[in-house]
Amino acid sequence: MPPFPGSALSLLQNMNSSPTSNTNGSTKSRPRQLVQARAVQRFKWSVLSVLIVVLVAVLFPVLMLQLYFSFHGYSVYGGSWWDAEFVGLELFEEVVTDPRLGWAIIRSLLFATGSTIGCFVIGFGLALLMYRPFRGQAFYYILFILPMLTVPIVIAYTGEMLLYQKGPVNDLLSSIFGRQVNILWLANADTALLTVMVLEVWNWVPFSFIIMMAGLAALPDEPIEAAKILGASKWRVFVEIQLPLLRPVIVLALILRFLEAIAEFPKAWSLFQGGPGSATETIPTYLYIVTWQYFEISKGAAMSYVILLIMVAIVLLAIQILRREKIGLDQIYDSRKETTA
Amino acid sequence: MTHIELKNIRKEFGGSVVAVKNLNLSIEHGEFLVLVGPSGCGKTTTLRMIAGFEDPTTGEILVENDVINELEPAERNLGMVFQTHALFPHKTVSENIAFGPRMKKVNKEIINDKVKEVAEMVKITHLLEKLPAQCSGGESQRVAVARTLITDPSAFLLDEPLSSLDAKLRREMRAEVDRLHKELNKTFIYVTHDQEEAMTLADRIVVMDEGEIKQVGSPIDIYNNPNSYFVADFFGSPSMNLINGEIVNSEAGKVFKSLILNVDLPKLFENSAPGPVTLGIRPEQIGISSSGDIKKKIYLVEPLGKDTLLYFETVEERELIAIVESNSSYRSGDTVALNLLPEHIFLFDSSGKRILN
Amino acid sequence: MNRNLKRKLAQYGKYFALSIWALIVAFPIYWIVATSFKPDRDWFAWPPVYWSEEPTLNNYAVVWADHKEEYEGGTQYSHSMQKPWKALRNSLFISVISTFFAVGFGTILAYGVSRYQILSEGRMFQLLMLRMVPPIVIVAPLSLYYSTLHLLDTITGLVIIYSITTLPYSVWMIKSFIDELPLEIEQAAMILGASRLRTLWEIVFPLVRSGIVATFLFILILTWSEYLLALILSKTEVATLPVELSKYEGSVEGRVYGRQAALAVGVTLPLIAIGIFIRKHLARGFSFGMVKR
Repeated sequence: MPPFPGSALSLLQNMNSSPTSNTNGSTKSRPRQLVQARAVQRFKWSVLSVLIVVLVAVLFPVLMLQLYFSFHGYSVYGGSWWDAEFVGLELFEEVVTDPRLGWAIIRSLLFATGSTIGCFVIGFGLALLMYRPFRGQAFYYILFILPMLTVPIVIAYTGEMLLYQKGPVNDLLSSIFGRQVNILWLANADTALLTVMVLEVWNWVPFSFIIMMAGLAALPDEPIEAAKILGASKWRVFVEIQLPLLRPVIVLALILRFLEAIAEFPKAWSLFQGGPGSATETIPTYLYIVTWQYFEISKGAAMSYVILLIMVAIVLLAIQILRREKIGLDQIYDSRKETTA
Repeated sequence: MTHIELKNIRKEFGGSVVAVKNLNLSIEHGEFLVLVGPSGCGKTTTLRMIAGFEDPTTGEILVENDVINELEPAERNLGMVFQTHALFPHKTVSENIAFGPRMKKVNKEIINDKVKEVAEMVKITHLLEKLPAQCSGGESQRVAVARTLITDPSAFLLDEPLSSLDAKLRREMRAEVDRLHKELNKTFIYVTHDQEEAMTLADRIVVMDEGEIKQVGSPIDIYNNPNSYFVADFFGSPSMNLINGEIVNSEAGKVFKSLILNVDLPKLFENSAPGPVTLGIRPEQIGISSSGDIKKKIYLVEPLGKDTLLYFETVEERELIAIVESNSSYRSGDTVALNLLPEHIFLFDSSGKRILN
Repeated sequence: MNRNLKRKLAQYGKYFALSIWALIVAFPIYWIVATSFKPDRDWFAWPPVYWSEEPTLNNYAVVWADHKEEYEGGTQYSHSMQKPWKALRNSLFISVISTFFAVGFGTILAYGVSRYQILSEGRMFQLLMLRMVPPIVIVAPLSLYYSTLHLLDTITGLVIIYSITTLPYSVWMIKSFIDELPLEIEQAAMILGASRLRTLWEIVFPLVRSGIVATFLFILILTWSEYLLALILSKTEVATLPVELSKYEGSVEGRVYGRQAALAVGVTLPLIAIGIFIRKHLARGFSFGMVKR
């Protein structure tokens, strides 16, 4: 394999002709085209081979190991892992019938849905208020993106400092409502997941905000103005013009946020470690507990496999949806380009 | 003497879209050739094949009788001016102009002198230290021309170079391009969709549509002798009046009959077979008088300054237009007689081909 | 109601709503910054101390000094394990090197995709899987694999996995910058006699440089704040700053808010500076071609 990246660049040297919109359109190849096409192919495969080799070298053994553990009973206390006993589908049975995992999945879905909606509603709302230039726009924009730039662990910290029983949040709430407020944000099993959700929303509103700001700013002005002149109210303009044009961006904002929320670990873990009881055991925290606290490597592996399959299915679906939106968007965009040309 | 020749050029994209079908064309030394046609007619693809950015699927491109299909764009010694100017935004105007000779490792001092020389030629000496973003549209265009000029190409390829400019500037730059061509005496191949640009600039016009050449000829020739409905319709502003109807026999000879008007056809069309045809006549070839056979009501008078356009009521989608001098005092609602000058009548058959006897 | 008055009211309403959210955003940030300057007794005071009468730099001095802490009585803080400077070095090394790989390779790949379609759009979306599947599902066998390769608890190990997981963002983001560069500019350079390498070096690269820098910083933010992989794959030797920070959280008596805050401010400040610097490009990092400009 050629050393990287110098050699990939040197391959480009042979492709002296201009890049064109199609490289394989001709029916009868001539030498110059052939040389170019070969150079492009060489470039393509030398770049892709690096990618493929790295991915295979890292991911393949990992998946194999995971498969091995899923079928062999092994925990750190049980001697060398390569001597572990073959147990067939036993582990998978255990995983599938584990009610704690079921609850973890439900919690994760609840958490991801709740925080996604929270982030989106607030982020989109702010973006709608802010996308037209006004005095102080830059100030608010910078302020509003700060939470996203904060390290999640720091947010967990800050959350603890603010929310502990005798912390400033309870104090402020007390003075606002004029009576002693004493919410156990960090110790009440009923509200613990909600606490993490609040922190997650605080952390990631900027994400939805930034995307929706960009989406709104990129909307063409003229159709909106045209709708207004034709007598549409602000609300109708929003529903009939802006919202449909924004759909791809909205779908993107929701999907990405949902997937990232499913994977959320730092805040939930460092604040609650799954507790109180198992009130904050989401998929990542429960997996972490099984593998790194109970050291049930094999059960963790089998569980990971189940989750991996579910997640891959979800992600593939998400990708499918995103692609469809992208294709639709390209169609709108291209037809617009043609009429102006 | 032939300079550039295209032989049986065909270009397909992705195997299904045919952009250019079997094109043959030879371009003389020093000629100003304009490729004109509606968007998607294959004119830009043809130019890009000459430049070497696209490879013809089949066929040969020759320069000075040598096949250059295998040469890289840079090796063809051609200059190209792009529609978007394609200036390097991070380089100053003088760096932009110096780029070509620098690639050919020309001595620095010589480059400096040449930059000044071409800058003077296109009148941009005062811009040399500016960035492209600080130049106006017309100025950017001049820089793009200068950048090509300095490489002393054997031919200039210009891809709709004026389409991004406003009308007044476009006329100015058009005159400038014309002047440059006369001064340099080089071959110019110019692509445009604007028939007026083609008429004013070209030595020879190549009209293209749907990947094919429709007609080749001098501007006057194309204007006076269009060989098809398409060409007749494409050139002229306002464009030719085209009236659908049919030829019928009568005692006096052949007569053109339509819902709008009936005309006795001149002797020229004696031998035409009866059947559906389209009659064409340029607005300036319609005489207006107070008495005559064809009486029509004016519904719109459009003064253009020097001339005035008269629009007549028709039952078809296309209006019938005549041009009169501005000092004439016609008003909308007036009924006047139209006199179609027989020697200027064109007939096109149902496939769009000109009927010639 | 006349139009002007209506407009004015809407204006006030907007500023009111924005200010409410501004307070919600600003208060936690204010609190952690303020706490970092509080003396020990203010940390847990009731009612909470909103504005310390005796601000001190002691927290910073203690946290960012690599020696054992001197303290006045109270709880025994076991701080011997915390080495913030070392963690800072680790974090810097790991995030800069892995970002360098992700962006370097990402640039080449993005150019190939933008100009030669070496990956179809479908494949480009599939590349996102590297980012979207939560890392927790493979991290256990990965750590075992790493330990057999002696990559566990090394900078190399984290660099490899970070480079892979940030590659999708890098490729997509840089591609969006290259897509904006008209092909005609490259062709103009070529017809003037520039070779492909020359065109890349003199025309393409300078024009997308600011975009590449923005991408670099964007990815730096992602790797700098990553926690889960760092926690499992590094732990002791090459613990990154987030991992180092979390060590305070673990023990019950480890609630040393002032110290934690001082460390947190140090960890977060560079990210905030970077983020504000590239704020105009942040949307691009996530938009995957969905925002047409």
